[in-house]
Amino acid sequence: MSEMIGELLGVGHQYDEGPEIFKGVSFCIEKGSFRFITGLSGSGKSSLLKILYLGLKPKWGSVRLFGEDTFQIKPTLLPFLRQKIGVVFQEFNLLDHLTIIDNVSLPLRVRGVDIKRSYKHAGELLEWVGLGDCLKSYPPSLSGGQKQRAAIARAIITRPQLLLADEPTGNVDDEMATKLLCLFEELNKTGTAVLITTHNQRILKKFPYPQLALREGTVLQLPVEKKAA
Amino acid sequence: MNKDQDLPLRNDIAARFVPKIIILMVYLGTLCSTFTFFMIHSTLLWEEKLATHLSIEIPFFSDSSSNDLQTQVTDLLQKTPGINKVEVVSKTEMKTLFNSLLGEGTSVDAFSLPAIVDVSLNKRDAFNVENLEMRLKNISPLIQLIDHRLWQSQVSNLLFTTTSLALFLTFLILCSTLVTTFFATRTSLLIHRKIVEVLSLIGATPSYIAKQFQRNTFKQGFFASSIGAFLAFLTFLGIYFLFEKAGHTFVVTTSFFFEVLAIFILAPFITSFFMMLSARRAVMKALCS
Ligand SMILES: Nc1ncnc2c1ncn2[C@@H]1O[C@H](COP(=O)(O)OP(=O)(O)OP(=O)(O)O)[C@@H](O)[C@H]1O
Ligand SMILES: [Mg+2]
Repeated sequence: MSEMIGELLGVGHQYDEGPEIFKGVSFCIEKGSFRFITGLSGSGKSSLLKILYLGLKPKWGSVRLFGEDTFQIKPTLLPFLRQKIGVVFQEFNLLDHLTIIDNVSLPLRVRGVDIKRSYKHAGELLEWVGLGDCLKSYPPSLSGGQKQRAAIARAIITRPQLLLADEPTGNVDDEMATKLLCLFEELNKTGTAVLITTHNQRILKKFPYPQLALREGTVLQLPVEKKAA
Repeated sequence: MNKDQDLPLRNDIAARFVPKIIILMVYLGTLCSTFTFFMIHSTLLWEEKLATHLSIEIPFFSDSSSNDLQTQVTDLLQKTPGINKVEVVSKTEMKTLFNSLLGEGTSVDAFSLPAIVDVSLNKRDAFNVENLEMRLKNISPLIQLIDHRLWQSQVSNLLFTTTSLALFLTFLILCSTLVTTFFATRTSLLIHRKIVEVLSLIGATPSYIAKQFQRNTFKQGFFASSIGAFLAFLTFLGIYFLFEKAGHTFVVTTSFFFEVLAIFILAPFITSFFMMLSARRAVMKALCS
């Protein structure tokens, strides 16, 4: 049996005045797994990722990550759990007052890597995602697709054990989307568990990995789709 | 890029008003401490003088017997061990004293003033005042010995009261500076809530985030308190020269001067250090609860 790095058990949630968005959601994330989360707009994909990256505490159920019960864990240990997770936010969440290279190298600096090394690493990664010319630009001056690639670079720079990507290909063309998915596959081969939310049917066809489909507040595990030609 | 700028703290609204408050607080605080040191120094000097000084009053008689008494008394004093100096207060000195009390032009000769002998002792503890008084009374029962030490407890009380008051004021000023810093940091955290949240989500520890605020607060605090301390130093010099000009000599010893200088130099370091701790406390309290 493969090693488990995350487990949701009977998770339910409801925002303050909204309806119940999940009821009894349970699934596991194994080490080195690669999965898509699909579902209609508003079905709760982003909320589910938010629970996984410890940005939202669900009302019901339990969430275990890297062997820790996230409800019981001491608040001082939370940052160390988060350091094992890379997140591509749907709204990118780049810091507007920092240059792109500062944004991308930030997770390394937060972990105590020195500035020079983190810059070198961030520079190489940005080059790879096609942002080599924008190292000193500020996020507000970039296009949606460029911001998205910067956000992806920031999420993977630490080679996290778990990568959570919320619509990482929503703002790029198909060619770039494929390239980014290949990048995620590379990362996955080194042991990172990858969980991606997407609407993009072409991507789902091209990359036939198991899917978790959110339907009416529950999760269905869908079989692997046939690879497109 | 500068490591302290993960948060754009320099352009905060708080960054505009906090330094002004700090300048004022440090200005008041350092002046208050200087005043405390001044009080401690002058009163200690005074106390020492009181402890080792006696005055002997020889009554005035119209015949020459006053002079005889004076000679007898000074002879006795000069023979007594433990006495450092015996000085008869001169007529001119008495005159100045009386004129200052009764107004210029009063003729001192019109009063039958006693002669005063000022005695300074080597060491207070070893000296037997009662014994001296007895021997003086043997010469004439009308001779009075005035022990200045009787004032000493009052001086000590005065010293204690003013020092505690000034220290308390300094402490209050420091506290308000720290409270201001605490709430300014809380405001800043609220302003940058979104950035702090992103930093937390990408794994920044509260301590890492607090360090950003600490560095900024230390720099800001050091700069502002240096200005405050410098202005206070100028004020101190101003007061000193005004006093000198008005003819009142400030009792300034070299050690006093160095202590005051130390206050002005250390104030920015001490203030900014405590401000930094206060900023850290504000962040840690908000992020760890
Ligand atoms: N902070 C919030 N407060 C209140 N309601 C929220 C909040 N965030 C999301 N919701 C609600 O929860 C539901 C799920 O939202 P979520 O963003 O998770 O959906 P999604 O599947 O990611 O949608 P999309 O595909 O459009 O990104 C929606 O009905 C939304 O209105
Ligand atoms: Mg979403």
